Amino acid sequence: MFYMKKILIILALFLVSGLFIPYNVMAISEEQENLVSVNCSTIKSKLKKVQQLDAKVRVYLGSYYEAIATKFIIPMNVRLVENNLSTAEMVENQNKFAEARTVFSNDFVKYQQVLEELINMNCTAEPEKFYEQLVIVRQKRKIMTQDVLQIRTLLSGHVKLVREVMTKL
Amino acid sequence: MTSGGRNLVILGILSVLVASLTTGVSLAIYHNSGDIYLDRSRPGFLPDEDEIEKQDGQDLEYNFEKSGKLTIQNVEEYLEKLELEIKAIDAYSDPFNEKVLIDEELGITEKNNES
Repeated sequence: MFYMKKILIILALFLVSGLFIPYNVMAISEEQENLVSVNCSTIKSKLKKVQQLDAKVRVYLGSYYEAIATKFIIPMNVRLVENNLSTAEMVENQNKFAEARTVFSNDFVKYQQVLEELINMNCTAEPEKFYEQLVIVRQKRKIMTQDVLQIRTLLSGHVKLVREVMTKL
Repeated sequence: MTSGGRNLVILGILSVLVASLTTGVSLAIYHNSGDIYLDRSRPGFLPDEDEIEKQDGQDLEYNFEKSGKLTIQNVEEYLEKLELEIKAIDAYSDPFNEKVLIDEELGITEKNNES
């Protein structure tokens, strides 16, 4: 009975400890470790290109989001209030859009920080650590895709709401 | 060295120290705020020629009026202009796509070694 309890405690500890192991840590094979070491400079130059392209996308999308917010969504909502046509959904959508833009900007900085860290790592000497960091970068990049999708959904929602307003005119 | 000369040297050293400190703080703010990642005047991040041409072609003058009676024509024009902006966003299909960072793209897939 005493041993049973002990075994159960050990099992429980084992299971709980699993919760604290970062899920992003993926195993890298020896062969991949070698490839990372050997192709280190090629990988880094590819990552730098990705970084440059991302900066371009961020500025491009960011300027359009900014223009849409300040030249379209906000003035439309102000005018709707003046014309007594404002709805709670329109205001909510505007707030969500502003929030999503902030999230997009902040997530991009976080993503770029981890990417920069990855580029500055010594992948020849520490391929395993490099790969672990690469997995983190991938996750942050995935978040960026989700942010872009979220903003696009809100934009579609705004268009739909404006069309609804049109029917009241 | 005269006391005037010594003071001049101290002043010079202090000026250099203050300049280094303020430059360091500015660079830290520039980096930590994330502005560095948006700065496309850095070497390697400069805009391409076709980007500049595209920006010139943008209808940046349109601004929806905040006041006045709202008519169907206003809203139609609004939607027309807004859809142009949305189209420009959609032109970037799959931004931040995940494929560019997969093992195969970076040349760290085990298959690579076999071939």
